[in-house]
Amino acid sequence: MEPIIPILGFSVWIVAKLLFLFALLIYIIFSLVVVRQVNLMTETLEVGFESPLKTAAGAHLLLAIGVFILALIIL
Amino acid sequence: MPDIFVAKDAKKERKRPTVSIQSADRWQKDPAAKKPKKATVSYPKTHKEKEKLPGHTSNPLTSFSYYPDHAKFITQDPEERVILLLRRHPITNLRWIIIAAIFVMAPLFLAAFPIVDFLPIRFQIIVVISWYLLTLAFIFEEFLSWFFHVNIITDERIIEVDFVNLIYREITDANIDQIQDVTVQMGGVIRTVLNYGDVVVQTAAQIPQIEFEAVPNPDRVSRILRELRVEEEQEKLEGRVR
Repeated sequence: MEPIIPILGFSVWIVAKLLFLFALLIYIIFSLVVVRQVNLMTETLEVGFESPLKTAAGAHLLLAIGVFILALIIL
Repeated sequence: MPDIFVAKDAKKERKRPTVSIQSADRWQKDPAAKKPKKATVSYPKTHKEKEKLPGHTSNPLTSFSYYPDHAKFITQDPEERVILLLRRHPITNLRWIIIAAIFVMAPLFLAAFPIVDFLPIRFQIIVVISWYLLTLAFIFEEFLSWFFHVNIITDERIIEVDFVNLIYREITDANIDQIQDVTVQMGGVIRTVLNYGDVVVQTAAQIPQIEFEAVPNPDRVSRILRELRVEEEQEKLEGRVR
């Protein structure tokens, strides 16, 4: 039997899930900022390592989206 | 009339100067002796010449690269050549590497310290995955902060590019001919053993001081700056200023 918030009538874990998803959404926005800033940094300074950095930033964004989808499914 | 009031030593000093024939011949035979001392900066033209230079490397993650293969920055002039690319010594990253290692190991201690046991197992999985995601972001940001905080010395300027964090950057530059003073600061056991230190450059520009923090081979950096300053003076004398 899941605990229910008396005022709202929802299970507390639904509220927890919404909070987790909101936090992960904020993190996805942060990842987008990271991608944008890496692009800006590589335009400012080119030293022959731009591809791996952009790939890492893109992979980080995809990972954040993946965790969001996972949380959406399993929570 | 004899100089009776002048001391004997002074009389000796009154000897007329003579120019020996030998020195005159040498002056005429060696016109290069008339020219001022040339600077020792020589610019490599090919990749093979660059590879022979001490301190040159193709590694993009290096902290000291003499005539780097790929180095361009946003305010670079078309004719401007990058001579030295500097970053902080890799040992300066040790602090955040240790912190990151602790962050990676932290979830392993959850068995001993049940902090999230009150959550259902599905929430615990997401918490652990989110923790590693944050750790990854921490590592990436620290690496980017080290990688893009560079000091560049070109044949015309010294530039400091500093990405303080993801949303704030600072670029400072000063012409070589505005450099007034270069100070090398190296102290402590670790810095002495690993040969890295600070190079403080006093300039006549609006920013009075540019500091190259914790750079490798600071003495060599100082020597390169000295050579470039001499080269700039030479260019001014010869009228080759750009």
